[in-house]
Formats: sequence, C-alpha cells, structure tokens
Amino acid sequence: MTEPSDSRVASAEAAVTYVFAVCRSTRATSTLDVTGVAGLPGGEAVRLLPSGLLTAVVQTVPAADFTDEVWQRRLSDREEIERYARAHHAVVSAVATHGPVVPLPLATLYHDDDRARSRLADEADRFHTALKRVAHHAEWGVKVYRPLAPEPDPAADAPAPEAAGGRAPGAGLAYLNRKRGAQARREKLREQALDVADSVDAELRGLAAASRRLRTHGAALSGDQRVHVLNATYLVADERADEVARLVAVLGERTGAQIELSGPWVPYSFVGEV
Amino acid sequence: MTDLDFRQGDQPIPGPQTNNLADILERVLDKGIVIAGDIKIDLLDIELLTIRLRLFVASVDTAKKAGIDWWETDPALSSKASRNALEDENRELRERLKALEPSADTGREKESEQA
Repeated sequence: MTEPSDSRVASAEAAVTYVFAVCRSTRATSTLDVTGVAGLPGGEAVRLLPSGLLTAVVQTVPAADFTDEVWQRRLSDREEIERYARAHHAVVSAVATHGPVVPLPLATLYHDDDRARSRLADEADRFHTALKRVAHHAEWGVKVYRPLAPEPDPAADAPAPEAAGGRAPGAGLAYLNRKRGAQARREKLREQALDVADSVDAELRGLAAASRRLRTHGAALSGDQRVHVLNATYLVADERADEVARLVAVLGERTGAQIELSGPWVPYSFVGEV
Repeated sequence: MTDLDFRQGDQPIPGPQTNNLADILERVLDKGIVIAGDIKIDLLDIELLTIRLRLFVASVDTAKKAGIDWWETDPALSSKASRNALEDENRELRERLKALEPSADTGREKESEQA
C-alpha cells in the first residue's frame, strides 16, 4: 500500500469503464437502446462501445467506488452485493434479448474506453468463438431436491412398551439400535436421491448442447431445508426449450423428486471455456 | 428481513424473472468469459467464501427463527477439540477472574448452579 490517502484523492475524480458483456456489432446492435437499463448504482448511463466486429456494453463508473478495497467490503454485505449482482445481471439480460451476448464476470474494469477496446480486441477470437457457441441457445438451471423423508414408523423400531418403561436393562441398547436404524434409513434415502440426481442429469444431457454441474446449495446457502442433490445447468438450443420443461415435468413424476427449472438464462456458464 | 429468503417460492417451475440471488451469484461471480481487467478485484475465492459466510450467518439466523437448532445439541457437530479449547479458555478466565476479584468467581458459580 503506497500513500493510500493520495490515491484516494486522485481516484475520487477519476472514472473507469465497467464492461458487462460483449456482443456482435450488427445493425441490431447499433440501434440497440440501452438507455432504459439502470446499470450499476452511482454510474453513468449504460452505453455501447463499438470496436470493430464486437460491441461492448459498458458503463462509466466512479473509480473510487470500484477499488478492490471497496469491493471486499461490498462482498461482505449481503444487500450491497445483491444490488450489484442483480444490476449486472439485468444489463446482461436486457442486451441478450436482442441477440447473442457473452457476459463478463462482475467487476471487470478498465481505466478508460480505449483500454477496454484494446483488451477486448486482443481477445476477439475467444469472443467470437463464445458468441458462436451461445447463439440461439439459452442456459437452463435444474435443481433436484431429495424427496422429503417419510417419518419413520415409530412402532417399527420402538421397543415393546414394557421394555421402554423405566430403566430396564437393554433400554440403552434399544436406543442405540433405533439410532442406528434411523441412520441407515437416512443413508439409503441419500443414495437413492443421488441416483435420481444422476438419472435426471443424464436425461437432460440428452437434450442439451453442453452441461455443467454446479455446487449444490446447502441449506446454508439457500435457507432451504430441503436436501439439494443436483445443481446442474444446461446449454439448450432455443427450439428445444419446451422439451426441457416437459422432460423436467416427466422426470418429476417418475422419480418423485422435486425438480426445479430456472431459465432461460444468458449462457453465463458456457462462455468461460473457449 | 424478507431479503434473507432465497427460496424461489412454491412455484415448481419459476419464470425467467424469479431468479434467486444464489443462482445469480453463482453465475455472475465466477462464470462468464474472464478477461483481465485493469483494476484487479479478487472475486473468485476469498470473496466467494466471504459471501458464503455471510449467507451462512443469515441462514443460520433464519433457521433459528424457524426453531431449527439441532446442530447446537448434536454431539457429532461439536468437536471434542473445540470443547477442550473452550474448557481451557474457561479455566484460564476463571483463574484470571479469581486473581482479580476473589469473590466474583464463587458468586458466578452459585448463579450457574441455580440456572
């Protein structure tokens, strides 16, 4: 850290270029009206930055608000990160309604428009490959939750009433056996649920151009008490989107698992590996 | 604090605009085409961790409000090591307290016995 106070003064007046996404420079893009999109808090209007065959969707934002230090704080504040993540997502989604778009991760910043143009030009090949890949495709997220476990039948495992009453010898053993039985049942349910997850994933992969397994959300992340056994996402051609919805419904009925479909998403998960 | 609720509601197949925050974060944070920016902002690991921590704290609170607190009493989740550490710390604190105010310690013990 060198002279933090000086750099703060300098950056307070400076502005930087935030890049949301990149699309092709087409006639549709050049007439694209992004003025209605809110963009990030504190920034100027969202605008297009054409650069040869590619057009970036950018926003001029105050540099002081986009330092690593500020972002580390922002990332520790649930409301703040939600505002920025949703704003970023809204811009990317708005542009995607007009044609293929390749999103950049949150907080991709350049000192100015020229720097952004030149860096994007350096990566033009990757952008074109990614654009080709996602054109006329959307991403669909699929989450599978374990079916709620049926309440164990207390009569099945409970010792006879006379044995349970008082402190009869063997009550402790019966208790342990009961515990073990419950554990075994849970384990079996878990394995069944993972099998369901695998078969759902396999069926959906059959419809998809590509797929990714994401980390499942624990109850910790989702605030959801159901057990999340599959978090997968699929790149699906637009004309097959209806098939995905139908297949999800069929799989739900067949497996008894709760399956949630989300989408269409801009194919965030399918542009990174090109 | 309704914004702590990340669930998508009861709709099994939500429409495009009902994306929950967790789904958005896992896409905008570490997906997308990665191009080196001029301003280095660390989003990939520590940040995700930070968010997870925050989300964890938030959802633990939510769960407690709903009366779900099984982990607090589950012996499998309270490690022996941490209990020992806690006991050591307590012992040390008691000793220091005794050194400072010899009467305070006995007073506290009585209190805990009554509880």
